[in-house]
Amino acid sequence: MTSHILSYIIFTPLIGILVIAFLPKGQGEKAKWIALATTLAVGLLTLVAFSQFQLIGEYQMVEEAEWIPQFGVQYIVGTDGISFPMVFLTALMSILACVASFGIKERQKEYFVFYLLLETGMLGTFLSLDLFLFYVFWEVVLVPMYFLIGIWGGPRREYAAIKFFLYTLAGSLFMLLGILAVYFGSTPNTFDLRVIAEQDFTLRFQQWVFMAFFLGFAIKVPIFPFHTWLPDAHVEAPTPVSVILAAVLLKMGTYGLLRFNYMLFPDAAHWFQPAMFVLAVVGIVYGGFVALAQTDFKKMVAYSSVSHMGFVLLGLAALNEVGLRGAMVQMFTHGTITGGLFLLVGVLYDRAHTRDMTHFGGLSGQVPVYAGILIFFSMASLGLPGLSGFIGEFMVLLGGFEVRPIFTGVACLGIILAASYLLYMIQRILLGPLNEKWSELTDINGREIATLVPLMVLVVLIGVYPSVLIEYVAPTLDKLNMLLNPPDTLLSSVGGAP
Amino acid sequence: MIIPLEHVLLFSLILFAIGMVGVLTRRNAIGILISIELLLNAVNVNLVCFSRVSEDPMAGQMFAFFVIALAAAAAAVGLAIVVAIYRTRNTVQTDEIQLLKW
Amino acid sequence: MTTVESLSHFAPEIVLLVGAVGVLFSDLVFRDKRLIGYSALGVIVVSLILIKALSVSEPLSLFGDFFLLDKLTQLFRVAALAIVGIAILLSLVYSPLSKLYMGEYYALLLFSAFGLILMSAATNLLMIFLAIEFVSLISYVLVGFLKADKFSKEASLKYLLFGSVCSAFMLYGMSLLYGLTGTLKVTEMSTALASAQQPSLVLTALVMIFAGLGFKISMAPFHMWAPDVYEGAPTPVTAFLTVGPKALGFVVLIRVLSGAFTPFFDNWTPLILVLSMITMTVGNVIALSQTNIKRLIAYSSIAQAGYILMGIATFTDLGIQAVLVYAVVYAFTNLGLFVVVVATSEKVGSDEIKDYAGLARRSPLLAGSMLVFFLSLAGIPPLAGFIGKYLVFAAVIKEGYYVLAVVAALNSVVAAAYYFKVIKTVYLQPPRDEDALPCPWPLRIALGITLAGTILLGVMPNDLIEFVQSILPLS
Repeated sequence: MTSHILSYIIFTPLIGILVIAFLPKGQGEKAKWIALATTLAVGLLTLVAFSQFQLIGEYQMVEEAEWIPQFGVQYIVGTDGISFPMVFLTALMSILACVASFGIKERQKEYFVFYLLLETGMLGTFLSLDLFLFYVFWEVVLVPMYFLIGIWGGPRREYAAIKFFLYTLAGSLFMLLGILAVYFGSTPNTFDLRVIAEQDFTLRFQQWVFMAFFLGFAIKVPIFPFHTWLPDAHVEAPTPVSVILAAVLLKMGTYGLLRFNYMLFPDAAHWFQPAMFVLAVVGIVYGGFVALAQTDFKKMVAYSSVSHMGFVLLGLAALNEVGLRGAMVQMFTHGTITGGLFLLVGVLYDRAHTRDMTHFGGLSGQVPVYAGILIFFSMASLGLPGLSGFIGEFMVLLGGFEVRPIFTGVACLGIILAASYLLYMIQRILLGPLNEKWSELTDINGREIATLVPLMVLVVLIGVYPSVLIEYVAPTLDKLNMLLNPPDTLLSSVGGAP
Repeated sequence: MIIPLEHVLLFSLILFAIGMVGVLTRRNAIGILISIELLLNAVNVNLVCFSRVSEDPMAGQMFAFFVIALAAAAAAVGLAIVVAIYRTRNTVQTDEIQLLKW
Repeated sequence: MTTVESLSHFAPEIVLLVGAVGVLFSDLVFRDKRLIGYSALGVIVVSLILIKALSVSEPLSLFGDFFLLDKLTQLFRVAALAIVGIAILLSLVYSPLSKLYMGEYYALLLFSAFGLILMSAATNLLMIFLAIEFVSLISYVLVGFLKADKFSKEASLKYLLFGSVCSAFMLYGMSLLYGLTGTLKVTEMSTALASAQQPSLVLTALVMIFAGLGFKISMAPFHMWAPDVYEGAPTPVTAFLTVGPKALGFVVLIRVLSGAFTPFFDNWTPLILVLSMITMTVGNVIALSQTNIKRLIAYSSIAQAGYILMGIATFTDLGIQAVLVYAVVYAFTNLGLFVVVVATSEKVGSDEIKDYAGLARRSPLLAGSMLVFFLSLAGIPPLAGFIGKYLVFAAVIKEGYYVLAVVAALNSVVAAAYYFKVIKTVYLQPPRDEDALPCPWPLRIALGITLAGTILLGVMPNDLIEFVQSILPLS
């Protein structure tokens, strides 16, 4: 039985693009409504798929078709516990960012065309089960991002856009080489993920290909030292694009690590474990310290993303059940929380036209609702128990502690740093005497609240009742865990050096 | 064979080398064209020489004829271009015809 | 097959020749010079129809082994005609081409189409030389066609001098081959060469032939003519040159290497590997600093030749398929790019990149097409250029030339940098003045064909790939 729901999810935004493209000149205003309708349609289809989603470890809703038989390329899409939360997140954030995009006033047709193309690319990346197809969708994401940042961004947008583009392109070209190596290294030659996962590669081969894929994903996550594109891209991008970038695009990197590096090359994953630990901890601590030093609100949140993604890496590095689950949870929750934070940055910037935190002060009296929501998301970000951020971080630390307690101890520093920079931010923006400049500031309006409420609901829901998320990711992750830690080698991976 | 094969080949090689030196060192465009003719004639000598010893002598000599014809055509085209340049630039020295740069 | 019997299969080419002569004389008849262009276009169309009608399934050897009509020839016959057809479409619009001598111009283009077809079918040293020289001589004249433009004439002279020397080298190499094997037929040479007493002589011949062919495909170090010639020539001629002789040059290279030099595989493969790396790097690095779009595209096409050479370096079945597919794909893309260049330079009057600012506002169609073509050249899926790049990468990785693959990957990033420099100017910068850029109908047709090719071959390359796979094994 093959319903084509996944293909519908991926390609619906293209229909939106066609409709927008044929809008007569001068009707550019309508583009945003069409885009909103399209993203809502995708969201609806995702909910339908959600209702059909089963809690099993296998791939579901798989669709297969021949594409380029001469290359061994097929159109295979399917979902499981790792990709479905990401699809859900993508659909949700696309809707919310689309609403936030209503503030874009010029060249609206082109903006929403690129926006919808971006959505197709992201959805396709998460749902592909064929390496070639995955690569195509991965690349499709690059070009709309370049334009979205480069046309509608801030003062240094051209530089940020091309930096993002070239950096990511370089990584993905190395990934292509890895893909080709896997293709020719597999018997029979295939791009089908499911077949490749069954193959037995030599450790040497796994190591090389692991590194090739790792390079591509490391740039996306981003992992220190490949993170330098992130602050520029985030700061210069318009708010809705920053939201999508933080909430979804960064997850493509860690998704790739799970789906390819870990699932296809488990022996290499073990070999890389110490390095992964180091990179994770470095990301957490470095991101935290640099965030603390920022005066630009958006840049601070950008570096906090580096830090939080470091937690995801820590969970991945742990290579055990609770670590992997924690990583997935952290991926999802970081998307919602940081997405919310960027939306809040945008709300403030739209009114004040500055992001310099030292220029603010005492806004809590002036914009109380905004202040409340900002505090809410900040608490979620720093990992207050009861909100979702805590769940992910705690599980990741638990997993890491089992394997390398000292590294994990250092990583805990990240939580303290998060508290520092977030509370510092709150102090500078919301507390203290009101800076006279801002006495005309209007509070957050209904449209903006509408974009934040769904995220707040999710944050509280998962914070209080995390199995709502965990039960969806668990079956697939358990299967992955069995692959990574087959029972007879279980003993060797636990109790390594600190 | 009255003249040994190697001698003729050596001769054509020297001719070719002289042509190459001419092409590389001359600055007069017509001089370069003449050097190119020299290169092509060296090849002709080669071809005729080889046709003497190969199983298909017709091929070599036929080839030589065609080369002669083509060398003439190339010279014609080359001179036409040189004349066209001379009309406006009043020079045929290649180091003065250097408008197109990096 | 005897001459008379061959003629029936040679009908498309005969039509081409007769048509070319006809176009030459039509200049005396037609007042409106555009009609000459239309009749040239008509000749191309008739030839294409005849090719379709006369397609054969078995390889045929016409004119006593001077013209081999196999699948490779079939493919590139159509390609040559299509390339010249688009060049004619571009010439119809390009205003600097003077109103005089139009008959000669179109006739020369048609003759060069004939020459390109000869190049694709040549398996005989004499024929190869004649075909290459035929195309070259016509190209020298076409490049210098703008008699009033001093850049054009200078480019023409440089092209002629450089090209003639390289041809002379190739000829010398051919004479050595003739001496070593006693025959002019390339396909029969490999056994004779394998048992030659002086392998160094064979290699010398090989290197010298590389000089001539490398010149045609702008392989380093024989690429130095390309930027000047491409910049100085009239733009439709540049469009023709970057694609036609280059693609066909690769076909000749494949025929020569597979026919004669297969026993010496281990000798020339490393050489081509190194030359490929040098070519792509030189092309890409120098392109970074260009400010003239024609020169930028010139250096870009030098780099593209470097990528195609990767396929030649492996020379496996997959490698040769990669070369052929890349050549076709590259033809579509580069020609499309030149359609945009011609359209823009007509209105803007300049070929400097900074004058392309804000093209996105003035003509979304042209800007969008330019984006598609540059993305295809950079190798971004799902466009045709990606399929070509993918195939050469696959061929290289399969044989284990990892260093080459890494160098090519890095080069692709560098290429993306300067392609996006142009895109940035087109999309992100405000235009000098706001009036719309018209796109006359010949350009629309050309744009339609090239866009369709670039996008469709990217998403559905199956037919092309199947056809290319059926060409191998080479005769």
